Amino acid sequence: MQLHYFAVLAATALLTVDLEAQRRGRFNRGGQGQETAPATAETKAEEQPSDKPKSHLAIVGGDVYLGTGQRITGATVLVGDNKILAVGHRIELPEGTTVIDAKGKSVSPGFVCVYGSGMGAGRGAPWIDSCNPFDPEIKQGLAAGITSFLASAPRGGSVPAGDGAVVKLAYGKVEDMVLQEGTVLGMSAQLSAADREKFRDLVKQAKEHKSALEDFLAKKADDPQAKAPKAPAGTEKILEVLNGKARLWLTLAGGGFNPFGGGRIGAASDVDSIRSALSIATDLGVGCVLIKPTSAWLLPDEIAATDSMVVLSPRDRMPIDPADPERSGSNLASAALLNQAGVPVAVTCPVSMFGGAGVGTNGLLGNDLNTPTVDAAFAIRGGLPNADGLRTLTLDAAKILGVDQRVGSLEPGKDADILILDGDPLHYRTFVETAIVSGRVVYEIAKEPIYRRIRRQNNK
Amino acid sequence: MHATNPRWNRAPLALAAAVLFCAAPLLAQDNRPTAFTNARILTMKGALIERGTLVVKNGKIVAVAADATAPAGARIVDCNGGTLMPGLVSAHSRAGFAPQPTANPLDAMMRRGGGRRGAQTPPPDSGGRGAQNAAATKAVERLDPKQDVFAEMLRAGVTTLALTPSGDGLPGFGALLKPDGKTLEALTTDDDAFVFVAMQRDSRVKKILKDAFDAAKKAVEARKAPKEAPKPEAPQGEQKPGEQKPAQQKPDAGKPPEPQKPGDAPKPEQPKPQDPPKPEEKKPEGDKAQQPAQEPQAQQKPEEKKDPNVEVLADLLEGKRKAIVQVGSGADLLHWTHAVGKELAFPRAICAEAFDPQAGSLDLVVEELKAMKSIVLVPPSLSTLPRSRFVTNPCKTLHDAGIEVGFVLGDAPARVRIAFVRLMELVRHGFPRDAALAGVTVVPSKALGVDASVGTLEVGKKANLLLFSGDPLDPASELRSVWLEGQKVQDDTAAR
Repeated sequence: MQLHYFAVLAATALLTVDLEAQRRGRFNRGGQGQETAPATAETKAEEQPSDKPKSHLAIVGGDVYLGTGQRITGATVLVGDNKILAVGHRIELPEGTTVIDAKGKSVSPGFVCVYGSGMGAGRGAPWIDSCNPFDPEIKQGLAAGITSFLASAPRGGSVPAGDGAVVKLAYGKVEDMVLQEGTVLGMSAQLSAADREKFRDLVKQAKEHKSALEDFLAKKADDPQAKAPKAPAGTEKILEVLNGKARLWLTLAGGGFNPFGGGRIGAASDVDSIRSALSIATDLGVGCVLIKPTSAWLLPDEIAATDSMVVLSPRDRMPIDPADPERSGSNLASAALLNQAGVPVAVTCPVSMFGGAGVGTNGLLGNDLNTPTVDAAFAIRGGLPNADGLRTLTLDAAKILGVDQRVGSLEPGKDADILILDGDPLHYRTFVETAIVSGRVVYEIAKEPIYRRIRRQNNK
Repeated sequence: MHATNPRWNRAPLALAAAVLFCAAPLLAQDNRPTAFTNARILTMKGALIERGTLVVKNGKIVAVAADATAPAGARIVDCNGGTLMPGLVSAHSRAGFAPQPTANPLDAMMRRGGGRRGAQTPPPDSGGRGAQNAAATKAVERLDPKQDVFAEMLRAGVTTLALTPSGDGLPGFGALLKPDGKTLEALTTDDDAFVFVAMQRDSRVKKILKDAFDAAKKAVEARKAPKEAPKPEAPQGEQKPGEQKPAQQKPDAGKPPEPQKPGDAPKPEQPKPQDPPKPEEKKPEGDKAQQPAQEPQAQQKPEEKKDPNVEVLADLLEGKRKAIVQVGSGADLLHWTHAVGKELAFPRAICAEAFDPQAGSLDLVVEELKAMKSIVLVPPSLSTLPRSRFVTNPCKTLHDAGIEVGFVLGDAPARVRIAFVRLMELVRHGFPRDAALAGVTVVPSKALGVDASVGTLEVGKKANLLLFSGDPLDPASELRSVWLEGQKVQDDTAAR
């Protein structure tokens, strides 16, 4: 719940700041100096109390896509060490700031892939100990705009479990490689009656424990002898989900089958299985993540009501089964319909017949590192507004991974994972020119052998 | 079958005669100085001597100069304008350790971390599962001395050969070999020449290293603390003279025929005799040296039991030992810092057996290496940018950054035989000639801490010589002879 408050607060704060910026940026650039001053001063004031950054980096003059859906033209993104300090116009640059001129370029948050493989990720928990910060795949990922991804998607079991990590493409720096670990948990939504009952019971125990703990914390002040309650066995992971520390991903294809790991598209992902997943979210009272619910477009409001989120592959195709009206088949408009209802949607690539999990360099067509923007584009073709299209790869994807406090948008306080692109971030002709991860420039198109020789033939 | 052939009955006799015949002049040579005249001498220290004489006596260089004269009665070796250079020093070699077969190749692949990407051949038994802190074990004790490979290495030009333990983490002491030895005692110059650290990006290895060095830091502090208390000091001081020798050169202690050992001991291995005695170090490992150390051990019993593995690392941190830290790639080096911290410093060389573009060749971490101020040992080869045909020259990048670059010659004699060809390739790509030759002589001798006795052709150093028909980096030049401590290495390959 705290998390939601935070998100709402951040969004409101941003909205107010941003509306002003929009006005100035588009129609009255540089005209209303007095109005700008307080806004920037405010953000500055927020940042100053924490210890001063050692180095500053400013990306100046670009069209800044915030990742939340908004865009500010001709704005500056100021980075201090590894965090974003300010985004907007008329930002005073501290002395010694490294300035990157982004005039005529787009600036966007780094893309967040809800599932990927390779790209320097280690072999397993603890992920940081085996990560490869010099993996050439990191450069390939950065060239495609990816700056973080989930390595090792959770599988469906009868209880929440998972030790995957959100890995950052922090080329050349071990310390920055792992953003979070073990915070994406997986569970099957197709539980047997017994397992379902067991889970319900565990959730009940966890909630009781949670309130007992709150009571204890309240009491502790005046009663030093009060004993802290102990979490009942088996509820640890559920408590993490309840406390907003972990995200619960629900696999809809039953039987512990992992749709990322080669499950056939849409198997059992009909309306019923979506409803059973939503009942789990209702039990928890916390929004969960539905993995590739093919029929989700039939009940967007029900999903929105539980605060749940959806991972989609807009390129997935499943025909309608006339014998089974519940199995509706896929709809290109899924993402648009869900977005309209207010459901955060992240996109990922389809699962191939030969398995293949998320984006990576596994040699599978359509799953390679360049596909995130393609998937977003398919969602846009289905009616998703352009602005929200970028969100499927940035803020909403970060929310689905539970890392939206750190990455996913260009907002003060977040990690400086920034792309400078030579066009609209989702356009097929666009190249990433510079990628910045945790405040460090880690990719420059002219310095890497990947795309440096590509020249546009008809630049108009 | 042999018995049925009458000719074989005479064979032993003939053999004995042959041995006597051959050995007689060899023995006689010992006292006679040898003078290498008409030589172009690459001293590796100071200027090249275009035409000069090098005089060897008792296995040591006694004179090297353009105007040096052969002493009376000296055996003259006319070099005919050929080039003399110091024998090769191989600071990283597993020659003599048979490659350890992996039970399951798939398993080995997985241990490398995604085999489909790791194109490089993994070092023997890598992968973290066998990792442990066994810093006080001596690799040489597992060595079979009766192998041809050492003599082959010698004929290829390696006169100072390191023996590198295999395994991850802290697999033990590396040894220094004199490659003409036929027994373990004759083969081993120094059985605890350097502490070997094998870094892997693996949680187990990293934890072991971190824990080991943390424990060593504590041990260093503990050593500093009791110095004020006089009681434990007294018995220790008493032990010192008796203790020193076995601690320093255990296998040598029992065998008389090693006259050169005490001679050069004071120079390079200077710090070691000053080691505080570590009787406890012998408990788990020394099967041979157990006996002489028995008594002091009994005395020490009541004292706190110390982990020999930790004590070795504590010595290292105090600067009394040297280490070679092997990293597989640039990524491993970053993980090394991540595991043990930036501040942890001790005498060490950083070594990579191969350039791994999949995890960063060492030129990607040149800043880190510069900050470490260590010698870097790398293969004498070019590399490529990952997944491309763009050739890179990591050796040159490192050298240009001011890092001393030494070369890993490899475990196989065949590899050593083409070492100069590989050096030529580097030189063609801009690596300085002098640095190329220093990389196989002076630099590795520094890495091993034996630069006071080998690595250059200077008065007082061991007469380990290579005689080439021309410049060693000239493709037309051939290695004519190898001299180990003044003795010509017999090339018996032709006879076989």
